Amino acid sequence: MEIYSIRPILAILVSAIAAALILFTNKHKNLRESWTLIAATLKFLIVLSLFPLVTEGKVVVFKFFELLPGVTCSLRVDALGLYFALVSSGLWIVTSIFSIGYMRGLQEHEQTRYFASFALSLSATIGIAFAGDLLTMFAFYELLTIATYPLVAHKETQEAIVAGRKYLVYCLGAASVFLFCIAWTYSQTGTLTFQPGGFLENAADPKTLGLLFILFIYGAGVKSALFPVHAWLPTAMVAPTPVSALLHAVAVVKAGVFGILRIVGFVFGPDLIRDIGMGNVLAFLAGFTILFASMMALAQDNLKRRLAYSTISQLAYIVLGSALLTPSGYVGSMLHLSNHAMMKITLFFCAGVIYVKTHKENISEMRGIGYKLPWTMIAFTVGAIGLSGFPAFSGFISKWYLCKGAIEAKLWGALAIYLGGALLNAAYLVPVVVTAFSRNGQNFKPDESSWTLTKPPVITAILTILFGLIPLLIGWQLELANMAARGIFGG
Amino acid sequence: MNPNMIPALIFLCPFMTALMVPFFHTKRSVSQILTLAALAGSFFFSLKGLSITGNGSVIHHYMGNWTPPYGIEWRLDTLSAFMSLLVSALAFIVIFATGVTVEKECTNAKIPYYTIVLLHVASLLGIILTHDLFNLFVFLEVASLTAYALVASGNDTRGNVASFRYLLIGTAGASFYLLGVGYLYAATGTLNMTDMALRLQELGISRTVFLGVTLILIGLAIKMGLFPFHGWLPDAYTHASDSASALIAPLMTKVMIYSFIRIVLWVIGRNTLTTLGIGPILTVFGTLAIVAGSIMAFMQRRFKRLLAYSSISHIGLIMLAFGLGNKTALIGAFLHILNHACMKAALFLVAATAYHRHGIDDIFDFSKLRGKMPYTMAAFCVAALSMVGIPPLAGFFGKWYILVGSLQAGKPIFAVLVVLSSLLTALYFFKVIEQTFFHRQKENVTVQEGPLALVISTGSLAIGLLILGYFAPAIFHWGFNLLVPAGVF
Repeated sequence: MEIYSIRPILAILVSAIAAALILFTNKHKNLRESWTLIAATLKFLIVLSLFPLVTEGKVVVFKFFELLPGVTCSLRVDALGLYFALVSSGLWIVTSIFSIGYMRGLQEHEQTRYFASFALSLSATIGIAFAGDLLTMFAFYELLTIATYPLVAHKETQEAIVAGRKYLVYCLGAASVFLFCIAWTYSQTGTLTFQPGGFLENAADPKTLGLLFILFIYGAGVKSALFPVHAWLPTAMVAPTPVSALLHAVAVVKAGVFGILRIVGFVFGPDLIRDIGMGNVLAFLAGFTILFASMMALAQDNLKRRLAYSTISQLAYIVLGSALLTPSGYVGSMLHLSNHAMMKITLFFCAGVIYVKTHKENISEMRGIGYKLPWTMIAFTVGAIGLSGFPAFSGFISKWYLCKGAIEAKLWGALAIYLGGALLNAAYLVPVVVTAFSRNGQNFKPDESSWTLTKPPVITAILTILFGLIPLLIGWQLELANMAARGIFGG
Repeated sequence: MNPNMIPALIFLCPFMTALMVPFFHTKRSVSQILTLAALAGSFFFSLKGLSITGNGSVIHHYMGNWTPPYGIEWRLDTLSAFMSLLVSALAFIVIFATGVTVEKECTNAKIPYYTIVLLHVASLLGIILTHDLFNLFVFLEVASLTAYALVASGNDTRGNVASFRYLLIGTAGASFYLLGVGYLYAATGTLNMTDMALRLQELGISRTVFLGVTLILIGLAIKMGLFPFHGWLPDAYTHASDSASALIAPLMTKVMIYSFIRIVLWVIGRNTLTTLGIGPILTVFGTLAIVAGSIMAFMQRRFKRLLAYSSISHIGLIMLAFGLGNKTALIGAFLHILNHACMKAALFLVAATAYHRHGIDDIFDFSKLRGKMPYTMAAFCVAALSMVGIPPLAGFFGKWYILVGSLQAGKPIFAVLVVLSSLLTALYFFKVIEQTFFHRQKENVTVQEGPLALVISTGSLAIGLLILGYFAPAIFHWGFNLLVPAGVF
């Protein structure tokens, strides 16, 4: 059932308006930052207010305009979209607090531009989550690229500028392919609106559809840093750490993964993908990405780069889950989308705290740092163990479903990768913890002043544990994920 | 008021005022206000014309009440109302904006700048309104002559050379056109467009007609700066005074594209797109223009030159869309004419502000502008992103419909090209954006915005692009059967 409401567009606009206000109040620091916090809270509340409606099985709709006969650009909030919106808007609150601590701690330049771009990126992310058709989603993809570009190039060093260029080339190139696919889809089917289970059946012969699928995956896959189009993500780590945290662990890359989930579930549909034999292609690509990125992560000494490769590999977990084409796999993908977000943001926050407090970026220099920053490194440990899929952490639950999906699909290779990947995860994250808590002869005094900086990682670490232990919270997650999967797979 | 007078009034407002302005040429502010009033008049009558023709009806105006095919017919249909609205509105905004820069730039030139401007705009409106091929030539010549004068109006002596070059090439174009009209007249014995269309249907395409059509289209292609006939354009846009290039760049080429489409569809018939191979040829030229224009734009250092080459590339895109012979693409092309004119006007106004206020026209000096003109540069970003085709800005929608049109026409290769043109546009605009915002210039920046009129105009064009983006689909649906009636296409 559809109900018409302006709440979806409000959720998008609230941070766009905040961006404008931030630009106009650049002289008054505290006022400027308060816009971010107000917008973040409001946005989360608006998104949250849609939760009861969606769990009742309703779809909340807001229409923009009819673009072509049969194509109405609209926002449609369904279970999948709401899920992603909750994750990104919820984590934005924490990140906003962290941003303030980080930017002030480092006395960064151009803070106004930074906070405005940040707010705008969140508008784009929620827009992607709520987009009801391919073209609306494309529009917000483009907006996200444009809004995050200033964040990537923020440092304005030659390195940052080059990273920004690389980011633009990758993202705009993919967007062009995406746009081409959309126009092609329209000319074949006359519609672009997402439908659970897909709308492309009988639209063309299997070979053409296969090509279209690959192009679509390329279009969305660049943002999700799937091999072989992942290279922009490690380069983009030159951005300030809160940016890496939210955008390169949550908003941008998750928007890419979300796009793939949409395309698999709502454009092509699992049956069609199985028929044209593309499920295995995607699964192979994702599986390879997991192994490759994990190996690369092992080789990095720069903490943020290691986390970046870890992100690439974890994102591929999600893509692989959707490529399994089974309900459990899809549920697992959705759960991992949020759980990975919580854990990875914790890890990035910690990297940020370390950088502000000690100006260290390389793991080899972090000996004994756990005694200087005890809470931070405990949070890091929680994130690291959770990411490896240890029970009682949220990472375990999503990996459980992913493995179940692999068994249902009888793809033993995928199962092996999931299990082996967990080991690799531990192999590249646990050494960081060990190094941090090794004595190096110096006596560190704990120094965790500035709560805006040091509390957020602790909060997200607690969330990681809560979402792994509290049945009520897990139940909410599962309810939405199951709803989405039911819509796609039927039954 | 008799609606039949509207076409004449649209033209007469600027034309008659042009004759009055010289009396005030010592007082530029008065001339400017008169000019603005005249353009507002044109705008008002265009709007009125659009409200009448908005349901598909056509207003005929017979000069001196001589009925066609003997007399000269002027005709206001939805398309010409749409175009005259665009021309008068943009001319108004540009003239409003550039009052101060004209003051500064045209000191040497002892010409009453505004008279020339008014004659230029009047003749552009004449080109849009006339339904007579020879009358079109007359206005084409007046528009060109005034454009040469405008190009040479600045203090920069290179403008004179550019103007002379423009004159040589432009005259060649006009001669081609006139020769072509001569052939067609010899074959059909008429100059009225509708009449000629009827007779051409009876006659078929004889060798004389073929030659005539070819010459006319080549002439117009030269005038619009379609690659490879674009030689005059970069210099003319670059070395003209900033005020003049902001006026000429968005309008002149667009009106030429309009008359090209008008003649192909209304006179020689849409079938010739395929039978004479006009469509495929246009797609080839369009492709070359997109690629070459973008690459050349990327290589430029001077901002205005970059914009000029960008124009060449986008003219190519519009002609490519027309050449596809698909209605969605065609309406997309008209939408892009509208959007591109607004974007280019905004960008040239930004160039004018940057040069006028800070003496900067080199892209690599744009980093010095950082923080100095926040509003102007914000407007620049909007216009540039719109050029790239970032939704929901207006520039996206023209490209989107052209893209869908080329797929509907069964030519996916051109769909790829349309997408590629966006990427290439991104290449050279992000180069400027990067220079402006991400190259460190650490000094104490004080805000020195441009003159108020410039900022207001640039800003309103930028906001206009947002609004236009929201209404673009509505304009598309509205225009689908009105801009080009079903009988024509």
